[in-house]
Amino acid sequence: MRITLLFLLPLAVYAQSDAGIAQGRAAFRGNCAFCHGLNAQGGRGPNLVSAPLHHGDTDSDLKNSIKNGIPGTPMPAFSGFGDDELDHLVKFLRSLSGAAAPKTTLSGDAKAGRDVYEKNGCAGCHRIGLSGSVFGPDLTRIGAARPVEYLRESIVKPSADIAPEWEGVTVVDNAGKRTTGVRINEDTFTLQLRTMAQKFASFSKQELRTLSYEKKSLMPAYEKLAPADLDNLLAYLATLAGGAGNTVVKEVETRR
Amino acid sequence: MKRAALTLLCLAAASAQVPYERIVNAAREPQNWLTYWGDYSAIRHRTLDQINTSNIRDMRLEWVFQTGQTGAFETVPLVVDGVMYLTAPEGYAFAVDARGGRQLWSYKYPIPAGEKLCCGTINRGLAILGDRLYQVTPNAHLIALDSRTGALIWDSEIAPSSQYYGGTLAPLAVKDKIVVGVAGGEWGIRGLIDAFDAATGKRAWRFWAIPGPGEPGHETWSGDSWKNGGAPTWMTGTYDPDLNLIYWGVGNPGPDLSGDVRKGDNLYSCSLVALDADTGKLKWHFQFTPHDTHDWDANETPMLLNLKWKGRDRKVVAQANRNGFFYLLDRTNGEFLMAKAFARQSWAAGFDEKGRPKPLPNIEPTEQGVRLCPGVAGAANWMAPSYNPATGWFYFPVREQCDVYYAEPPVFVLGKPYWGSTGRAVSDEKEWGLLKALDPVTGETKWDFRYFRAPWGGTMSTSGGLIFSGDEDGYFMAFDARTGKNLWKMSTGMAIKTAPITYMVAGRQYVTMPSGGVLLTFALPERTEPEAKKPAKLADQAPPRKPSSRRIE
Repeated sequence: MRITLLFLLPLAVYAQSDAGIAQGRAAFRGNCAFCHGLNAQGGRGPNLVSAPLHHGDTDSDLKNSIKNGIPGTPMPAFSGFGDDELDHLVKFLRSLSGAAAPKTTLSGDAKAGRDVYEKNGCAGCHRIGLSGSVFGPDLTRIGAARPVEYLRESIVKPSADIAPEWEGVTVVDNAGKRTTGVRINEDTFTLQLRTMAQKFASFSKQELRTLSYEKKSLMPAYEKLAPADLDNLLAYLATLAGGAGNTVVKEVETRR
Repeated sequence: MKRAALTLLCLAAASAQVPYERIVNAAREPQNWLTYWGDYSAIRHRTLDQINTSNIRDMRLEWVFQTGQTGAFETVPLVVDGVMYLTAPEGYAFAVDARGGRQLWSYKYPIPAGEKLCCGTINRGLAILGDRLYQVTPNAHLIALDSRTGALIWDSEIAPSSQYYGGTLAPLAVKDKIVVGVAGGEWGIRGLIDAFDAATGKRAWRFWAIPGPGEPGHETWSGDSWKNGGAPTWMTGTYDPDLNLIYWGVGNPGPDLSGDVRKGDNLYSCSLVALDADTGKLKWHFQFTPHDTHDWDANETPMLLNLKWKGRDRKVVAQANRNGFFYLLDRTNGEFLMAKAFARQSWAAGFDEKGRPKPLPNIEPTEQGVRLCPGVAGAANWMAPSYNPATGWFYFPVREQCDVYYAEPPVFVLGKPYWGSTGRAVSDEKEWGLLKALDPVTGETKWDFRYFRAPWGGTMSTSGGLIFSGDEDGYFMAFDARTGKNLWKMSTGMAIKTAPITYMVAGRQYVTMPSGGVLLTFALPERTEPEAKKPAKLADQAPPRKPSSRRIE
């Protein structure tokens, strides 16, 4: 009897320290995995395990980012978490980085990647700082916001994962006019799109013959990009971290 | 003779504005809206038809009352003889001229600084009895206000807010008592229903929604789990004066998503209870979802209907439950009559003859997550349904939304959410909503109108052949009760979180819809001259006359 007890004791201690991680994992799955992936290696949100964290990587930085969100990014504030829950989340994240998470290494040349970006007309839909189009996702800090593997997929197979705010919609009105754009708003009676021409288009649903959601991304798939060009482009995109030089605020200040 | 006249005068001066008898017969005065539900039965149908299917297209905004408060505006105003009474978040109550929207008085309950509030400061409205209004406060007090001045008369604690009891509902006035329930089901409370003496504010009776040691039903909770078992009572009940029974919905057991710490059926969570109005004694109960692990409270409206069921006149209580099924019960004894799915559901294979569900396998929340319909917010929720006697149909908003349910065995800590999962569910597909017309006798859908998002707005029916409702995009809408055709709409600019009302003052019908921080009231355009004077159509078609010359002559 006593032997059993002694044997159980260390197990109980182990279970307790593991409990923080397990609770953190459960909290992560329920709240964070949707963007950061089930194992925190990124997805719509940044990789939290094997990539540099741009908003501080001490425990208190992490907790601050979770509790207060990160202004100017899609990261919302999870103000409902208590201190122990934040502890559990950080514990869980630390338990992952200790593991053999593959570090992403970039072989490309960022400078050459910038030429690839320009040559392929990426700015026709995307924007870096104030230059380019507002039709597609803003890439000003894309290197900080997305893991490289996600970016690679987004270029080669853009339809693999489309965030809801970039859903493409095509409508045909009663006169037969066809319009495709990014959905800005849809409700029970109306639809507002942003078109390639960077203009808003407004529709009343009862004036539409058809309304179809694009299964595919509105972005063409760059499958035929030379491997070296792709690597270079990724290296370039990875440098985009929303530095002071290309923020709107700075621009407004210099104009004054 | 003189003496008699004097007595009459004294009586008139002393007679209270809304005695109990007026509430019992509320349906006979459709110009007013005397209870949260409009009457005791909660059918939310008014026999007003000035605004109807043929002229609704002309209905327009008449006045706006700004509360100055943000947050979900969930109130349902009362209207008594031309005066409207409503609440707003942060403990506010207002009296407003129902014709013009001008404020008559305002009151603010002083929520003690630093008070822990389980459920924010939203509020769903008032009860009126005599010359007094009754309001529940965010920290679970019941207060009485003078309906003529807004002055505070008494303030009684329902249950301690230090234990995270909260109050959000409109009270129910029955005879000389004010009946209330509590919120806090996610914070480890032990649910209860209380009745207070309307005159003095003293507690008249209490019904514990979780039976204590020695009481029947206590054995349905393992260990000490009953002490923090939730079972909140956060929505107003209904009342049958003939049977003298109060019908009240009871919410989810706690912790919400993790059931292992509370083995058993967990009575009276997720149940409807029928209580004697004088004593609070339980007459019968029906549990919709035994041992719930999906937060499927049964606080949805228990609507009282008299229907022909299988050839026999039955007094029934109807509820579209959060678990995705529409139920009919005999309200005299709680007998199960019918359960029909009204939304996608993936948890029940069917029911036994007593109405106990037969759960499908693998529906329990897990650490990895389990996808299930309906979602955590339910296929129905507290949004009011309505019933139109002309069609005989039941109209209600449906939430088509499934969730992934995560669980984690919790430890109860006072002041921490007691969910049984640190995270709420994550949706893995686009939600949508329906306004549904359903035959309550068969459970069959008569028509659906599709909303882009799952709604939080309730419904109202009128003998103008109209169903009114609001959606999550902020549209306030009117529909043909028979066909479901959308006849009128207005974008109010904020998601609609409650149900509209209608009333009449000085011969004009009004429709009121709270949205955002404002109360919007609509009516048909007022005629400046009597219709009979101008031969309407001809005058409109007549060519414009040459003015002036003749007049000068």
